[in-house]
Amino acid sequence: MLEALLAGFEAALRVDTFVWVSAGLLLGMLMGAMPGFTTTMGMSVLMPVAFLVGDPLIGIPFLIGVYKGGIYGGSVPAILISMPGTAASVVTVMDGHELTKKGQARKALDMGLAASVISDFISDLLTIVLIIPVAAIVLGFGPPEIAAIMFMSLVIVAVTATGPVLKGLLMLGVGFWLSFVGADPFSAMERYTFGTTELYDGFHLIPMLIGLFALPEIFNAVRTGDRQRGRIASLVGERLSWPELKASLRTIFRSTGIGTAVGLVPGLGQTVAAMMGYIAAKNASKHPETFGKGDIDGVAAAESANNAVNGPTMVPLLTLGIPGDNVTALLLGAFMMQGLRPGPTLFETSGSIVFAILIVMLFANLIFWVIGYYTIPLFSRVVTIKKSLLIPITIMLAFTGTYLARSNPFDLITLIGFGVLGLAARRASFDVMPMVMGFILGRELEYSFGQTVSLAGDNFLQFALTERLGMTAIVVATPILGTLIGLRMNRLRRQELIRGG
Amino acid sequence: MIRLFVVLLKNLPGIIAGSLIGLLISTGPALAQFPERPITLITPYAAGGSHDLNARVFTTYIQRYLGQPIVIKLVPGQAGQKGTLEAVQAQPDGYTLIFTDNYRDQLYQHTFGTRHYDTTEDLVAVARVNYGQVGIIVRGDSPYRTWADFEADARAHPGELKMSHSGLWAAFFVAGAQIMKDRGLRLRMVPYRGGGPAKAALLAGDVDVSAAFPATILSDVEAGLIRILATAGSERTIPDVPSLAEVGVSPSTGYMHRAVMAPRATPADRIARLRAAFAQLQSDPDYQAAMAQLGENTEYLDGEPYEAERRALGREYAELAAAIAAL
Repeated sequence: MLEALLAGFEAALRVDTFVWVSAGLLLGMLMGAMPGFTTTMGMSVLMPVAFLVGDPLIGIPFLIGVYKGGIYGGSVPAILISMPGTAASVVTVMDGHELTKKGQARKALDMGLAASVISDFISDLLTIVLIIPVAAIVLGFGPPEIAAIMFMSLVIVAVTATGPVLKGLLMLGVGFWLSFVGADPFSAMERYTFGTTELYDGFHLIPMLIGLFALPEIFNAVRTGDRQRGRIASLVGERLSWPELKASLRTIFRSTGIGTAVGLVPGLGQTVAAMMGYIAAKNASKHPETFGKGDIDGVAAAESANNAVNGPTMVPLLTLGIPGDNVTALLLGAFMMQGLRPGPTLFETSGSIVFAILIVMLFANLIFWVIGYYTIPLFSRVVTIKKSLLIPITIMLAFTGTYLARSNPFDLITLIGFGVLGLAARRASFDVMPMVMGFILGRELEYSFGQTVSLAGDNFLQFALTERLGMTAIVVATPILGTLIGLRMNRLRRQELIRGG
Repeated sequence: MIRLFVVLLKNLPGIIAGSLIGLLISTGPALAQFPERPITLITPYAAGGSHDLNARVFTTYIQRYLGQPIVIKLVPGQAGQKGTLEAVQAQPDGYTLIFTDNYRDQLYQHTFGTRHYDTTEDLVAVARVNYGQVGIIVRGDSPYRTWADFEADARAHPGELKMSHSGLWAAFFVAGAQIMKDRGLRLRMVPYRGGGPAKAALLAGDVDVSAAFPATILSDVEAGLIRILATAGSERTIPDVPSLAEVGVSPSTGYMHRAVMAPRATPADRIARLRAAFAQLQSDPDYQAAMAQLGENTEYLDGEPYEAERRALGREYAELAAAIAAL
């Protein structure tokens, strides 16, 4: 295997490969930055380019570039105009846009890039080193374990929510309930659809996110009128300093670990990773109350966790031929079109070329950094655009982005509905984040729990105690962990109150 | 207002000439040969699925024979109903086509109650591009060496054997359902989000049996991780592996036909033009090579014979859905 790795290293050092990776990264960033245009759609559209080129060291790195660039690109509108470009960067909105409003857009964008590049690099390196040994472990995470992890995440979201616990719980419950709207995945029974076909698939995530996060911002911007000389923020702000990055390194490493683990399990994806990374960072923080109010650590946590997923998704894909989501399914197609068949024999038959691709993926992060470094100054100037120009553009992006996501006119109504809800929640100082988390985790939990019940059969207790000890352990640990974190949060909150006088 | 009128009057010759030219430009091509602008192909699936991949390949090459590109428009949702409805309601001018499969076309009216259209009446087949042939698979170290082992155990333990599939009434579920109906078995069907996770469940030992398109699991079979017990159809495609017909399961199920269709009212000459382009595509070496790399066959069938086949499938699916509903 070492031989293949070395041969791969040699094969990877090609100028044209890096030119194509750069092109992929740049295209991916632009597509990711376009709200509603998902990474999957971008890759799907560019797929023919990859197979027409007909060289595995060009076509596949190109698509991987689009993948990485897309996941990062989504954070740019999230930070600047509170509109997540892709679902992966929903968590970035929380602190990213608050920083923009404080006049620190540049710093947030720099942190987004630094966190993405660092976590991508580390997780890619881990992927190359671990791809062979960990392949077997991946399979240990089936629906029962995923259900247990989702359950734990929900509990932790509930206890760490900002503001009064009851408000957080209520929003979490609302989100959880919203996730049930539509046909259930097991028997296609329609729930809360009122007999309409529009709600058959439930609410779509993209209009929900744009509605909840971007529309209230737009409304606010209109309402506050001409303060700050008619701009979102009076200035682009300072660049990220080295001490600031150093202070967030712990968070980045933690999120990288979480993202890597999430990426290894097929099908969980970037959004779930970003949430987990964010929650973990908030928990570990000495000042959790600043999260959601423009804490640079929040940006670091979300952006490193979502990008860390990218590399490790290659592990189940390449070693077992298992694509966990549509992005990896497209990559599977790309590999096959170049004559490489992902699966247990891939590394024996074409080890060097696969390592070459992985090594290109690793080095692509350096190019990623360079491209980000030169585009951020341009992007960050968005905040200096006059509101009278920026607001119409933002509204247009919100609506076109919503429609673009799946060409469904009903989504526009969803968008407005969630916009109103978001505005109302803000007025009554309810945090909408627990609702979004409840919505996303609720879907995953329902699906994996249904699968678990189906797998367990008639005797659930026996199944839980003999076959799935991992699941049982997580479920048992959850209330204990939840109580501990809850107590810690309460203590910090009280200290804050005392300090605040 | 008056000034506007004066301006209009002054420029009247120009306006008339311009309008005429505009009219000529817009109607002229109508006299030219179809197609004279890009064709939209509605694909009622999410990006990244096997339909999306297949469509990306054939739309890349068919341009050579149509003279115009085919643009893919993904309209996922409601188990394909959204995209299908859009195609059914499209202008029947040959510029809107749909890339669907036999389940969306002939089965879902029986299982999901599609209320707004009748695919058989509303759509006409242009071409069956290719098909995916389902194989029934077990783990390499499974106690089921042969189909008979599996069937005997399933019969002895009704409702206990677990089968992972790619979603309710998707390709692998239909194969499982047909086995249950034709062999009088009961399996516990566990859904997964697509074929990849369904295969993972089998490899992890979470389920006893699953299904896959054999072309996509060659590597696992070579490595001895997966064994194929039977493949769909009446003929054997792999030596020593029986066909489903041999073990008493209907030979027509277990195929996912990927077909391009058009609204039924599309003019016959345009349908003929489209069908001809798909026929020509078959002898394109680049298309053949790309599909082979992808692990997909190019078992093309012209729209005319496929029309008869889809109706036959529809009758069989009606029985299947009724039998499963009665379980």
